[in-house]
Amino acid sequence: MRQSLQLLFFGFWLISQLALGASTQSTEDTHEYLLSNGLKLIIKEDHRAPTVAHMVWYRAGSIDEFNGRTGVAHVLEHMMFKGTDEVKSGEFSRLVAAEGGRENAFTSRDYTAFFQQVEKSKLSKVIQLEADRMVNLNFDDADFAKEIQVVMEERRLRTEDNPDSLLNESLMATAFMSSPYRHPIIGWMNDLINMKANDARQWYQNWYAPNNATVIITGDVDPDKTYQLVEKYYGGIRAHELPVRKPQLEPDQKGVKQVHVKAPADSAQLVMAWKVPRLQPDNINNDEPYALELLAAVLDGYDNARLNRTLVKQARLADNVEAQYDMISRGPALFIVGVDLAKGKTIAQAETGIRQALAEVADKGVLDSELKRIQTRLLANQVYKRDSIFGQAMEIGGFEMAGFSWKDLNTVQERMQKITPAQVQAVAKKYLIDSTLTIAILDPQARQSAKAGVQK
Amino acid sequence: MKSYCQSFVLGAVITIGLLTSAQAALPIQQLDSYKGTKAYLVQTQSLPMLDIEISIDAGSRYDPASKAGLASLTGELLNKGIRSSTSNLTEAQIADQIADLGADISVGVTGERALIRIRCLSRPDVRDRAVQLARLILSSPSYESTVLNREKQRISAGLLEAETKPDFVLDRRFRKAVYGDYPLGNAMTVKSIANLSTLELKQFHQQFYRSDRVTVSMVGDVSQSEAQEIVKTLVQDLPQRGSVIPSLPELARSPVENLSEREITIPFDSQQAHIVMGMTAIARNNPDYFPLIVGNYALGGGGFVSRLMNEVREKRGLAYSVFSYFAPGQETGIFQAGLQTKNDQASMALDVMTETIAQFIAKGPTQSELDAAKANLINGFPLRIDNNRKLLDNVSSIAWNGLPLNTLDTWTEQVNAVTREQVESAFKKYLAMDRMKIIVLGAKQ
Repeated sequence: MRQSLQLLFFGFWLISQLALGASTQSTEDTHEYLLSNGLKLIIKEDHRAPTVAHMVWYRAGSIDEFNGRTGVAHVLEHMMFKGTDEVKSGEFSRLVAAEGGRENAFTSRDYTAFFQQVEKSKLSKVIQLEADRMVNLNFDDADFAKEIQVVMEERRLRTEDNPDSLLNESLMATAFMSSPYRHPIIGWMNDLINMKANDARQWYQNWYAPNNATVIITGDVDPDKTYQLVEKYYGGIRAHELPVRKPQLEPDQKGVKQVHVKAPADSAQLVMAWKVPRLQPDNINNDEPYALELLAAVLDGYDNARLNRTLVKQARLADNVEAQYDMISRGPALFIVGVDLAKGKTIAQAETGIRQALAEVADKGVLDSELKRIQTRLLANQVYKRDSIFGQAMEIGGFEMAGFSWKDLNTVQERMQKITPAQVQAVAKKYLIDSTLTIAILDPQARQSAKAGVQK
Repeated sequence: MKSYCQSFVLGAVITIGLLTSAQAALPIQQLDSYKGTKAYLVQTQSLPMLDIEISIDAGSRYDPASKAGLASLTGELLNKGIRSSTSNLTEAQIADQIADLGADISVGVTGERALIRIRCLSRPDVRDRAVQLARLILSSPSYESTVLNREKQRISAGLLEAETKPDFVLDRRFRKAVYGDYPLGNAMTVKSIANLSTLELKQFHQQFYRSDRVTVSMVGDVSQSEAQEIVKTLVQDLPQRGSVIPSLPELARSPVENLSEREITIPFDSQQAHIVMGMTAIARNNPDYFPLIVGNYALGGGGFVSRLMNEVREKRGLAYSVFSYFAPGQETGIFQAGLQTKNDQASMALDVMTETIAQFIAKGPTQSELDAAKANLINGFPLRIDNNRKLLDNVSSIAWNGLPLNTLDTWTEQVNAVTREQVESAFKKYLAMDRMKIIVLGAKQ
């Protein structure tokens, strides 16, 4: 962000929480505007405290990259802090800091977003700064040369020295043959080594345009005055034609795929990932994605949920378990179950354990009380999420980038409450099948230096 | 439980601000002490929810030398089985009941304290059940041997996994170096938890989980009298007193040493070297707290604009993350700075970090750095208290560290009053390069 939300784990979790947290939004406190240059503005009033979150979201993430230039969306995110004609390199952060602001940015598979949180009287200043770098970015080659080194350090930190990330990188690259989701958001190291300043500039020219951006402002604001501010600073930026996005639909998978990753670690890991549908903006009444969300929660949504109860506590096959699914995304969705194996257990035993837990749902269904428990939690989350104006802006942004409207949040929440145990059982039976399954295994290796290095 | 479902539907939410003005927080009310338990409340009525934090003076600092992990396990198992005169609940039943309420009840243990955090709706029926459950979790854990054995296996596996990770190995060695023989220098290991018994956990609980060692902080939609009742309920089953607990040793200041004594190299075949540097520093109630945090903003705390960030990342592209911070607590905490860089740049990065910190201690911030730090901290103050969660963190810190109840009201004034000379002299007083422990973990080049 300049710490990118690392895809699979960080990004995934965040977004799936948002999806689960979807809410009743009254249109009385939320306002949408479309500027003549195509910029969409969404304002959500919350007057509890005199603070504001200001975010701009560009619909350009790693899904829009081409092979050989992977990671460029995230690299450009870094370069956005490197100066415009008016604001010299590094000044952006200094000016935001002087206003007392907190700022950062993040890149996902689906989008790149930038934000500032400030006391409300400072909103005008950060809008002015953010609008300036939407159109006037102007960094030099020397700054690029330094920053690409920083990004490579980021990749070393988050991926090269991190077995979980290496496993996920291989999982995605194996599950997808054609979809750009097969590439890591941070990019392959060799692509970073060979990236040129002009690759980043080209990316900026292609995608950073008002007609590819959504500004979201939440907090203690007057909507009319705020709209005037946004119009004043962003309104003069000219729209331009965006590159054509090819669908790049992933071909149907024809059988189980498997990948082994050797990396320094102590415990083996097993991850099973199935290709499943996601929610489509033109069909938000399709119950299957909602049922898959609830299935993930029934498996891993609270301390005594099925996977933790059976695999960790009863069978002692695993020390940690995880079930993930995110129905809101631009690209293809996976339903993922992962475990850290307990000592002395084999991959085969863990796989059998996972399959039995899933077969239990597919064959016998889930209890009414289990599902109600999850749905109760979702309702309580409607209250808790309102404690954070930043979280509310994040929720709206994730929805909008995937092609939904903030107005759909209400519908999504209502439908989540109507899903039945039979529907959860049906999606488990229909989608968690071998022909769309990818298995990734972490084969732990001792570190060469570990024995000498660890001081007891 | 099903009945809770339908009634959560939100109506219009009454809006009452969290702040009376841009710079003034809502007042912190000190409730009547009950059985020696101190309690504090900030009332916020704009959302129908309540956050409660229970702090127990039972952190890892009380671990006996050969039993590192005792305090952690005692705390971690609080919600994994209850046995009292009126209730027997398995860990599964506890988890199901929490989920059925739509509440969060989490437990955890830090160096200084054990913590139970509750977030629930403020509707009395839901709230009262969550509080009753928290009462049992706090006072009547069953500490069953099957659960303890399983958790020991899981924690041991986690420790062995952590030993393959550069950041964990670095941090553990750093703490050992700075804390020395002080209890927090002894991190939990597979060996130190192997022989812990349920009896030892029960004894630790009996000895340390007493009402006179508990502090309760609350933020949310609850009246003062309701809050008072909540405190009574939470601690009613705890003993008020017990055997005398020996006082902790003093944490000795990091001594002056030759570099060869202070610097430790750990061979590790990671792609990046991880480097950390630091020493003992101050407690939160130290009068030099404000000069030090204002100064640290300029040195390495201020996000993308600090001196360390500028020297290491912006000018040289050596690292993604570089930072410094003070971690003051009820007792003396530490100062720490660190970064990660590819192995062949490790010595260069260490030189830059060392030079930057040395320069800062010697000469303090420039006037413009000081002005920038104060501008950020003062202008950004409203962001520290703009929701219930952040308010709870602040109330908890004030309560735990024994700070004045008007701390938030005077916070910006205190920042504003800091002078360049105060920062320079405070850094010189507490930090010294010839006392800094340095750990460099990475592959030999």
